[in-house]
Amino acid sequence: MTGPGEPAGRRTSPWVLLLHTITFKQARGLVPVVLAVIAGRGLDGPATVVALVVGVTLLSLLWAALSWWRFSYADGETSVVVTRGLLSRSVRTVPIDRIRGVEVEAPALHRLFGLVRVRIDAAAGSIGGKQEELVVDGVPRAEGDRLRTRLLARRVPAGAPAAPDGEVPAAEPEEELTRFDPRWLRYAPLVGSYLAVPLAAVGALFRVLDEVPQRWKPDLGRPDLPGTSVVVLFLLAAALVLIAGSVVGCVVVNWRFRLVRRGGSLIAVRGLLTRRHTELEIDRIRGSTVSQGLGMRLVGAARASALVTGLGDAARRGQLLPLGPRSEAWALAGRLVEDPGPLRVHPPAARRRSVVRSCAAGVLVLAVGSVLTATLGWWWVPVAGAVLTALGVPLGRARYAALGHAAGPNSFAVRSGWLVREHTVLQRRAVVGWQVRQTIVQRRAGLATVLACVGAGRGGYAAVDMAADEAAAFARAASGSWSSALSGSSALSG
Amino acid sequence: MSPLPPAPVRDPAWSLSRSAIRLWVAQGVLGTVVYGLAVTAFLLLVPGDAGWVVPVVRWAGPAFVVVHGVVTIGVRPRLRYRVHRWEVTGEAVYTLTGWLTRTWTLVPVSRIQTVDVTRGVVQQVFGLASVAVLTASSQGTVRVPHLEADVARRVADDLARRAELVRDEAT
Repeated sequence: MTGPGEPAGRRTSPWVLLLHTITFKQARGLVPVVLAVIAGRGLDGPATVVALVVGVTLLSLLWAALSWWRFSYADGETSVVVTRGLLSRSVRTVPIDRIRGVEVEAPALHRLFGLVRVRIDAAAGSIGGKQEELVVDGVPRAEGDRLRTRLLARRVPAGAPAAPDGEVPAAEPEEELTRFDPRWLRYAPLVGSYLAVPLAAVGALFRVLDEVPQRWKPDLGRPDLPGTSVVVLFLLAAALVLIAGSVVGCVVVNWRFRLVRRGGSLIAVRGLLTRRHTELEIDRIRGSTVSQGLGMRLVGAARASALVTGLGDAARRGQLLPLGPRSEAWALAGRLVEDPGPLRVHPPAARRRSVVRSCAAGVLVLAVGSVLTATLGWWWVPVAGAVLTALGVPLGRARYAALGHAAGPNSFAVRSGWLVREHTVLQRRAVVGWQVRQTIVQRRAGLATVLACVGAGRGGYAAVDMAADEAAAFARAASGSWSSALSGSSALSG
Repeated sequence: MSPLPPAPVRDPAWSLSRSAIRLWVAQGVLGTVVYGLAVTAFLLLVPGDAGWVVPVVRWAGPAFVVVHGVVTIGVRPRLRYRVHRWEVTGEAVYTLTGWLTRTWTLVPVSRIQTVDVTRGVVQQVFGLASVAVLTASSQGTVRVPHLEADVARRVADDLARRAELVRDEAT
């Protein structure tokens, strides 16, 4: 299954044919056609069903075989070449020194056949999305590991202090940084993204139930219970489903999460059904974010991520601690980037602006509602507006309380956000530019938003509404001497 | 009303090319002519008693064209010219853009990844070009619109050469 010479294309394992036939990977596009056939002819008798199943399976097998036959990859001296396409051939060449990361993942079915899927990340900056990665689906585990070590070893520049040539990373000592504690699962029901799992599942279930013809649905009748207890029971059941679902979702994604340091890399492994193996180069880490949602703040949970330059899909791949106690998240973040010290509070004008902004929507509803009450008699619109306005005050204060910034000798920090509070600490060298923004309102209030442009993570991290006269000093303290151009008299012109 | 407090950071030293005003005026004229033609066509082709919105549009259309013309030809070009500033210092590129919301952007030469010079059709008529300085961050892009073409060329060449010299890792 491997090509003879180095530059010649290698094929993926033939087992992948079986895999893709089972999962109908390529034949999924046929589903609408099949549905149309069913709709047109109706499902008369088992013969049609069998014929359809056999036909689709055969087509799927044929399709998978063609794709397998037309797909090849080659890891040459300087680049990786992936050739694919049934009719129109596409050849993608990625220079090895542009590869930012290699992820080996093993979904459940792949593991059955001893196969893995290798994602080669060649994103330039944080602009590119999924299109920037090469996927080699279905190579034996050993080959996947070989690809990963080879591509990543190549990428280390010659003069780097990393390690001599021909090293075998597996032989290097490992240092375990963190390991998922099953007790942390109790935080799962308070995290928005895990709560979304059962909600989506229930939604899908209802959609399927809608499709089932009426005569196949069992007639449950109406339970002989008074209305209130039905509602209470339903709410209880819903809460249970939500809690259980979020815990299950968390288990599936984070099962046996481990973060180890091996040589110059951080390696994160996780997942119950799909094992993911993500490698981050420590030299490319520019900062860390500790984020806490509203619910997580209540129970002292947090999530920690690394900000890595040129990492595609950074939100998922950069995760150092998917969910855990706050102290653990801070300890991890602190190991990557030095803590710049306590945050400076933003001026009172920032609190006023925050409260005004939070109340603005409510005031608008109130104003429109007053007109509607006068013309149509919709008295409940201004009432809703008043409630919204009143709620805006604590919301605005809470949003203000989240604001802060600090500059230390080697790093700086910014914090903002109420629904999800993000505390980002960045190294001085991370900054590739500064952006100072001021609206008219900010200008009158003596405030400014200072955005540190970074080639990692989201691309920019802002200190919202800091005192305008501190902006230049903060930028100067948080980055190199070039940033003095913001304050001092103009330097020599070039 | 009390006077505005001073800007949070220094303003860059240099203005754009004066031709930029003429270019913005030309763009304003073009836009106004297009809207004017559209409104004229509407007035000529749609009968005045066609429905309840039509009389409103017959009034609002020409009024909009007049306001649009005054703003985009008489007011905005000069305002824009006064606000937009740029500067290349020994270590960085620095711009100020925006009118209501003002944005100062500073990018060090050592972190420049690419420098683009673009010349649009209208820009070519006025002998202008724009410079865009890109970094590894999607948000850290500096754009200097409407410089004289040879100035833009020189600035871009100079920045690209210096970036090459001092680039450490650029991320």
